[in-house]
Amino acid sequence: MLTKGIENKLSAGGVDVRDAFFDELYRLAGEDRNVIFMTADMGAFSLQRFKQDFPKQYFNVGVAEQNMVSVAAGLAMAGKTVFIYSIVPFVTLRCLEQIKIDLCCMNLPVKVVGIGAGVMYGGDGPTHHALQDIAVMRTLPGMTIYNPSDALLTQASVRLAYEHPGPVYVRLEKGCLPVLYEDAAGGFREGFAQLRAGKDLSILATGLMVHQAIAAKEILSRVGLSVAVFDVYRLKPLNEQALLDIMLHSPRIVSLEENSRIGGLGSSLIEVCADAGCRVPFFRMAWPDGHCREFCSREHIHRHYQMDARNVAEKILAWTRNT
Amino acid sequence: MPTDNTILFLSQKAMDVRIQTLEMIARAGKGHIGGAFSCTDILVALYYGGVLRLNPHQPDWPGRDRFILSKGHSCEALYCILADQGFFPQTELMRYQQPGCILGGHSDRSIPGIEADTGSLGHGLGVGCGLALAARLDGADYLTYVLMGDGECCEGAVWESAMFAARHQLRNLIAIVDNNGMCVTDRLEDCTALDPLAEKWKAFGWDVSEVDGHNFNSLLSALTGVRERTSARPLMIIAKTVKGKGVPFMESCLEWHHGVPKGEQAARAFDALRGMKC
Repeated sequence: MLTKGIENKLSAGGVDVRDAFFDELYRLAGEDRNVIFMTADMGAFSLQRFKQDFPKQYFNVGVAEQNMVSVAAGLAMAGKTVFIYSIVPFVTLRCLEQIKIDLCCMNLPVKVVGIGAGVMYGGDGPTHHALQDIAVMRTLPGMTIYNPSDALLTQASVRLAYEHPGPVYVRLEKGCLPVLYEDAAGGFREGFAQLRAGKDLSILATGLMVHQAIAAKEILSRVGLSVAVFDVYRLKPLNEQALLDIMLHSPRIVSLEENSRIGGLGSSLIEVCADAGCRVPFFRMAWPDGHCREFCSREHIHRHYQMDARNVAEKILAWTRNT
Repeated sequence: MPTDNTILFLSQKAMDVRIQTLEMIARAGKGHIGGAFSCTDILVALYYGGVLRLNPHQPDWPGRDRFILSKGHSCEALYCILADQGFFPQTELMRYQQPGCILGGHSDRSIPGIEADTGSLGHGLGVGCGLALAARLDGADYLTYVLMGDGECCEGAVWESAMFAARHQLRNLIAIVDNNGMCVTDRLEDCTALDPLAEKWKAFGWDVSEVDGHNFNSLLSALTGVRERTSARPLMIIAKTVKGKGVPFMESCLEWHHGVPKGEQAARAFDALRGMKC
């Protein structure tokens, strides 16, 4: 169900997805005093009241991500559910071994929340870009990964993470994204959702790229191509059987993600096909294997790498005509 | 002050643990003798000296003190102690690192009595901070102990945790450094400027006690009464030790970090341990 706060903001024209996450976390912390929030010196406007109202549940550990993970593990061993927060590369790659051993090996309820999916931090350069995190995090046994694409789904990811007994990684957007989900019926348990119907090909996208996929679908419809769009919001564990059925029943498959082409959503889906012994026409759209040194906005970087909606549509069209 | 009988009892236990550790490692053909021997007396003081509050028949008793062996490669000595105290059957020691045995080359919490998975260095103190902080938040009176190596103190994460513990005045956290002065392939002083170690911890906001890590009077003088401490600071005990302690040809010798004695050499090692003064 939509909470009142998010309903009001949606009707007023949109809600910042990061606020949706932290507002829900605030509510959760009020319900369960064993919910702890730790940040490695990253803030958010919507966190201010959390810090003010729940000072015993809020810790800024300073710029020390490795320690943050280990401390969170210790708290979780003592019965706490801990949400830890920083920019994606710092809260995933910087402290990867702590996540592997302290969280995954011990299967502890620590929720890794990373802000800045893909190239969201645009001009800040490769140190702040998150193009390897999906690939790296999904190799960790026991890790669950959510990559929510709108405010309601982001809000729901808080409860999904909380209710899961083990470690979870939430790859967070910020800003007001167009609404994709009107209600949370089903509780987002399937791990993916079909957002648009189409018979010629299916785009399986995740995160912000779901919006690019929908925009690309509109462009492609003008040249007579009927495109289905799926939002794969849970990247691990994938709903393998259901996704395999979709891939087997669609003439063509396109994967679309704001992550390196190595090891992300596209790779995951191809692995599902390969393991099932299935061959499907598959076009993998992702970031090239390299460091992005375009120091400009996310939108510009998307255009530069031909990952904006128009270029995505053109590349899909060329692929369909050449294969 | 511990009585002479207590010291005798602890010394006998330490000798037993070293002999059993050597048996395990010799049988398995692998292990970390040097570090296990350097921290054996510390472990014996903790487990047999009336320091740790534990219940072997209920390893997950909520009121237990938490002990984390952050230098997880020294687990063989701890395994011997846990088996002796009844956390798991002694027979399991004979199968160390064999297929199906719960006891691996680094300890993990699937083993009764082990709190945390360790093996990669620099994690234990942070986990200990979390446990100590949780005790504070919950109003629980258990203490958290973390045993680290001095080589482990080269890890930056250790100092992140040190600052966190000081900031939050985790007086219920006691860390011990097994200060044998050596890492795997070198003497520490040839790798990095770790010394002056005590001054570093003091500067990081900890109370620091320096002890002889092979002298039970010295160890227990630092470990006894920690529950009644009035200081708001976390406590660091730097225990000066000798790597490979108990076997003269192993002592302070780099090759015995994970060397395994065989044949005549093993016999000499057993003889040396049996001849240790009790």
